[in-house]
Amino acid sequence: METKATVIRDENSETAELRINMGPQHPATHGVFRMVLTLDGERVVTVEPHIGYLHRGSEKLTEGENFQQITTLFDRLDYISNFNNEWVYVRAVERAMEVEIPERAEFIRIILGELNRIASHFLFYGTYGLDIGAMNPVMIGFRERERIQALFEGVSGARMMHNYFRVGGVKEDLPEGFVPAVYALLEHLKKGYEDARDILTESEIFIERTAGIGALDPEKTLDYGVTGPVLRAAGVDYDIRKADPYSMYSDIDFSVPLGSHGDCYDRYMVRMLEIEQSIKIIEQCVKKLPDGPIQGKVSRILRPPEGDFFVHGENPRGDLGVYLVSSGGTVRPYRLKIRGPSFSNLMALKSMMEGAYLADSTVILGSLDIVLGEVDR
Amino acid sequence: MSITDYILIFSIVFVMFNGILVSVLAVIYGERKVLARLQQRIGPSRTGPWGILQTLADAVKLVLKEDIRPQNSDRIIFYLAPLIIFTPIFMLWVVLPFGSGLVLGDIDLGLFYVSALLGLSVVGMVAAGWSSNSKYAMLGSARSAAQLISYELPLILSILSVGLFAQLFTDNPFNLSNIVHAQSGLPFIFVMPLAFILFLIGGLAETARIPFDIPHADEEIVGGAFVEYSGIRWGAFQLSEYTGLITMAFLASILFLGGWSGPFSDKFVWLQPFYISMKTGFIILLAFWIRAPLPRLRIDQLMAFAWKVIIPISFANFILVSLVVFMGDRINLPIYQIQLILGCLNLVSMIALGYLITARRKKRLAVYRERWGEK
Amino acid sequence: MFTALFLFFLWRPISLGTTTGLFTALKHAFRRPVTLQYPTEQPLLAPRFMAHPVLTWDFEVDEPYCTGCLICMKICPTDVITVSMKDNEKFASEESKRRKIVDDFKLDVADCIMCGLCVDYCNFDAIVMSDHFDASVDNRSNLVHDLQTLLEEGKGQQEKGRWSPPATKKSQRRSAAQAKTPDPSSSDETKEQPSEEK
Repeated sequence: METKATVIRDENSETAELRINMGPQHPATHGVFRMVLTLDGERVVTVEPHIGYLHRGSEKLTEGENFQQITTLFDRLDYISNFNNEWVYVRAVERAMEVEIPERAEFIRIILGELNRIASHFLFYGTYGLDIGAMNPVMIGFRERERIQALFEGVSGARMMHNYFRVGGVKEDLPEGFVPAVYALLEHLKKGYEDARDILTESEIFIERTAGIGALDPEKTLDYGVTGPVLRAAGVDYDIRKADPYSMYSDIDFSVPLGSHGDCYDRYMVRMLEIEQSIKIIEQCVKKLPDGPIQGKVSRILRPPEGDFFVHGENPRGDLGVYLVSSGGTVRPYRLKIRGPSFSNLMALKSMMEGAYLADSTVILGSLDIVLGEVDR
Repeated sequence: MSITDYILIFSIVFVMFNGILVSVLAVIYGERKVLARLQQRIGPSRTGPWGILQTLADAVKLVLKEDIRPQNSDRIIFYLAPLIIFTPIFMLWVVLPFGSGLVLGDIDLGLFYVSALLGLSVVGMVAAGWSSNSKYAMLGSARSAAQLISYELPLILSILSVGLFAQLFTDNPFNLSNIVHAQSGLPFIFVMPLAFILFLIGGLAETARIPFDIPHADEEIVGGAFVEYSGIRWGAFQLSEYTGLITMAFLASILFLGGWSGPFSDKFVWLQPFYISMKTGFIILLAFWIRAPLPRLRIDQLMAFAWKVIIPISFANFILVSLVVFMGDRINLPIYQIQLILGCLNLVSMIALGYLITARRKKRLAVYRERWGEK
Repeated sequence: MFTALFLFFLWRPISLGTTTGLFTALKHAFRRPVTLQYPTEQPLLAPRFMAHPVLTWDFEVDEPYCTGCLICMKICPTDVITVSMKDNEKFASEESKRRKIVDDFKLDVADCIMCGLCVDYCNFDAIVMSDHFDASVDNRSNLVHDLQTLLEEGKGQQEKGRWSPPATKKSQRRSAAQAKTPDPSSSDETKEQPSEEK
């Protein structure tokens, strides 16, 4: 319900605009992120985001580490979608060294990458529900994440920072009993997804809080360089898995959910439907999983030839790009530039928040689904 | 009044005060356990057997905290605000009956007293927020004042409709014990379920519980009006919030669920406090159940909901009840027929309202459904 | 019939999204809680679980597997390993095939990121990831594990069955993994029970 209030201003009275600091420590800013809001009553006039609280110098660190060691750094970049980050980096070095990757390794990568996408979207669901005020979603979201992370632990040894993808393939083969475990997990995930959907999607209060809030039209999203579910919610059909397919995505049948209004509810729905699509992808890949080697022919010490190489992939948050400049024959890169999707998505924050209520500011920020590790690197 | 009378009253008040505080601790523990079970986890389980000492541990921790006061805050009001919020809710318990004759002050204007005291919580909130000299606190108190004032109307209108109906049974319809006696035939919830729902909504909003808890939404203005309070002063606010919840539940069970009456309550007098505790507990469980999955409403949506939906409905309900009671009295209908008519009319109106409210929602949802296919 | 009519009329107002959410939450109340009451119940760890690395002990020759070759020190991304080597007396007396043996080994568990690169790059199966995730201590200097502690923990891992000495040499297994057909003696472990590791 949009309420219109007529404000009667008396010429003799002065109204001042209120500056509020939603500081780095705040339960709703998804990490160390500072917003300085200027309010006129309850409406936001302008917002000034301050980032950099989580800057760890990742790009500089890569100049001092070997190519094999950099994978561990990429795990920790966007600390929620670890496999997808490793994947993009590993593909960049593979493109530089022109390595052939066996099919089994490609399918393993797709399965793990899509499972990570589901885990990331469940985290979004949980934290978004908590931002809006409901307490059940965060428990459901993390319960499903625990199941997925238990599978990851069986495959790579770690629940989050896996260091499992290697240049040329993956580190070691899947454990025995993986395929039945994945099928069991998918059954659980479907039930969890239905639980999650039942609580928030049709809830009137949720629709009131998110429909029509923070709308972006397609031209603006393209101007700001926004990618990922935010872009698709605005109606632009751009998914790197379809537009510039990598790995075996061209052989897999899945659809890309599109929104039309570009508001917070559409972004939520796009991510929920992406969970369904990822489940579909995983089912197909597990059926198609061939036997074979899991590492291509590549030497132990990586020395890519000279040149610069750019590779991008569809992360749960958007388009993660890695620009690798190698000076030929060295064990370390000359320069590694990371194009973080959350950083570009944040650019759209100001235009979305102007004119919104204070209570909507957390809703809009939550719907962008930023991870500060990627924004600040 | 002799000295022994004073001592007797004082000791009863003392026992009741402590009893309420202990039950508040139990309610807080119960809320954590119930919310946990609704989210497939275990609540507190380590402090004491089954975690029952958890709230006590929290209270002790709060007492041991440093007492901070912002430098530019208004000292006197800052220290007084918790008391202003605390006191009216405890004053309410004077008129609430635990059984037939088990009431501290059997005032004839019991309902009136209740409604008057319910309106005093606004003052405390505004005092707390304003005296803190902090922007977040000011925002929180402004929001909370607006919310509390708006939702008082449906609360009081539903209380009044109960009083209106009760005058068919007794001469003192505002006396709470008489209201309970009037429900010995049929509890009022079957006669006016709409008023019950309105009372629940108003009660949830008055005690600022989800979905109306924007005044102290943790995620936006961390703490709202109480953000500058630390230690046991903040604990006093929490205590008053939960006491308000228990009070609302108690009132609801007295006004609508039949109070302390139940099967065999005339013969076994000791069953009466048991029955009323059960009914209060049921409504408290309802409040917990509503809290877990529902998001919170934004302040302007809250106010729009109050003024555009709830208050017209409560006025309509009040007019309906008064019309039926008045006409029924005129035509000298037997009471059970009045009850029947009122009950049926209420049901019909609830169904019609349900259609009206959901019509708009379904239309909006249809847009989404057709865009997304089957969700 | 009356109830059917009643339900028919009441169904639409009741099936609000809000009430669906409420009933889903109620459904959750009747399921078993998913909480794991740590530390009374320990979590079930996968065989490949990676906590900080430990050193293995060769029970046949009664000396560590580690020869102090410094590869793990060079590959570690966070530089937490410090190694030094010495001449092996048992080589001189023909008891063991290892020319050099580890002299001193320090691992700073505080900074270890548990990536497993040291285990990957070790040519002698000398270092292995443990399941010792609960490594907190009272004194920060106790977080630097020295050679004796690591060997003790390694023996514990072997007793638990998380690691057993390899059947074939590691380089042979690596080339088998890269070949056309997979080597049946490698990479065949279950997720549920601990079994033979590579």
